[in-house]
Amino acid sequence: MIHPALRRKQRILFSLFLGMIVVTIIIGMGLGYSSLSYDRLIPTLFGHGTFQEEFVLFSIRLPRMVVTLLAGMALALSGAILQGITRNDLADPGIIGINAGAGVAIAVFFLFFPIETGSFTYLLPICAFFGALLTAGLIYLFSYHRNTGLDPVRLVLVGIGFSMALSGAMIVLISSAEREKVDFIAKWLTGNIWGADWPFIGALLPWLAILIPITLYKANRLNLLSLGEPVAIGVGVSVERERITLLLIAVALAAAAVSVTGSISFIGLIAPHIAKALVGPRNQLFIPLAILIGGWFLLIADTIGHNLIEPNGISAGIMVAFIGAPYFVYLLLKK
Amino acid sequence: MVRLYTKGLHIGYGERLIVKNLNVEIPDRKITTIIGANGSGKSTLLKAITRIVPQQSGTVVLDGKDILKENTKILAQKMAILPQTPESASGLTVGELVSYGRFPYQKGLGRLTKKDIEVIDWALEVTGTSDFKYRSVDSLSGGQRQRGWIAMALAQETEIIFLDEPTTYLDMAHQLEVLELLQKLNIEQERTIVMVLHDLNQAARFADYMIALKDGQIVKAGDCEEVMTHDVLRKVFQIDAHIGRDPRTNKPMCITYNLLKGDNQNEKMAIPLSSIGAYR
Repeated sequence: MIHPALRRKQRILFSLFLGMIVVTIIIGMGLGYSSLSYDRLIPTLFGHGTFQEEFVLFSIRLPRMVVTLLAGMALALSGAILQGITRNDLADPGIIGINAGAGVAIAVFFLFFPIETGSFTYLLPICAFFGALLTAGLIYLFSYHRNTGLDPVRLVLVGIGFSMALSGAMIVLISSAEREKVDFIAKWLTGNIWGADWPFIGALLPWLAILIPITLYKANRLNLLSLGEPVAIGVGVSVERERITLLLIAVALAAAAVSVTGSISFIGLIAPHIAKALVGPRNQLFIPLAILIGGWFLLIADTIGHNLIEPNGISAGIMVAFIGAPYFVYLLLKK
Repeated sequence: MVRLYTKGLHIGYGERLIVKNLNVEIPDRKITTIIGANGSGKSTLLKAITRIVPQQSGTVVLDGKDILKENTKILAQKMAILPQTPESASGLTVGELVSYGRFPYQKGLGRLTKKDIEVIDWALEVTGTSDFKYRSVDSLSGGQRQRGWIAMALAQETEIIFLDEPTTYLDMAHQLEVLELLQKLNIEQERTIVMVLHDLNQAARFADYMIALKDGQIVKAGDCEEVMTHDVLRKVFQIDAHIGRDPRTNKPMCITYNLLKGDNQNEKMAIPLSSIGAYR
């Protein structure tokens, strides 16, 4: 019973954002410290470039862009799910403690375990992932009530409490640490894309490939959950089971993203918001858009931030906040 | 033997018991209304029977099975619920809202089948909301919106429909419209209808069976002649009611009433009065 015009609008917007992502990637491929001119892009892509061109494109720029794109998508989807199950438009992976949990895990691991450079880069995201998962699990445990089950409002409140407490713990942890180590952790906290290499894409892609279809499959249930518990139960949604499954999906997505990009907020909040503003609250329509917007947003933020100041640039997380915070203020003012 | 009944039902939120050891039978293919004062447990009872609020002990049995052990989708094909004040369906069209009533029958991606669309159109038609199919629920008046929600419950094609105060927020004409629609469904399609109503006269007028609750227990259950009596209303609402007859429907109705003075008031105030006495 969705108006055909709305479906058409959604399709047009979907292609539009997809196009924007492709354009951004093409522009991004030619941007950077080492020169790779645009007329050399196509030959390089098809394997006719010089060694240097190929190295710059395939080992530096492309993996970084793909990682940011995928991470942005994962965060957006995670935010969309969380907003759905908590029925709170301000929900985002940060509030269920994903970022803080991953952060503490990274800090603990980084400060207290001997580092071998070889395995280090791959152990860190695993560590962040489990830190995030553990935190989300604890938050879930504390907001679970024997009689009433999982109360979304409680989940948000406990989540905020946990984030605060963990952020505090992290400051205590790093305040006594050595300077270089603090530098790395601080960088992680600002959302510096550091896992910009093909293996990280391999770590991120399967999550999206599995969880995007599952979420879209559950879009109808999310729609029903948004009508409130009595209505959802009345038409036969297993509310408790769906909430837990969806929460797990959201946690896995955000944890996977944050573990390779560092702490990035706002994407999970803003991408679903923009998508809903464009096509309305139906999950099956806005979720695909939110995923594209999230990916595009983080990609742009990182591409700009990365090239803004030589040689290291500004962290993607900071760029996202630069763009995201004013939008957030705009949203608040509009309401 | 009726299809739906409760056995020793205890329901409460936390420590506070709202419904105590309740045994109630819902007659099949009849309209049942539940009446009672605020906080008497009538909404809570409805929520427990429809598995929205879990009971602390006791069972709700439908077709010989404990509803908490039954597959929730199968249950949703047997009973539909219209909650008291449903969340706003922001941005949805009426047609979409009604289509959500088909969820219990959907598999996989939830595409609407031809049968689904027929049922949806039928539900829109009988509730008089066909014109709003593509209109946003938010843009409708209270009465139209309520009919849209009823259409959603109808689209579920259940033999039993529960409604928690379906006439709240509606004006007199719209209240009657909704109740007459439910009566029509009951008569023409033999649907069992169970609703909580605030208005006693409406409850008596439309009910085949009435259940009067006080403090989570049944004071009286039976047809309107048995329940709409001076005595029952005194116990349930602490009112001194003057019961007459509706000149058009010949059903009992409460023509006027006063708050109870005298006996019952003393009974109610027994503890505070004696404690005041003690201070003297």
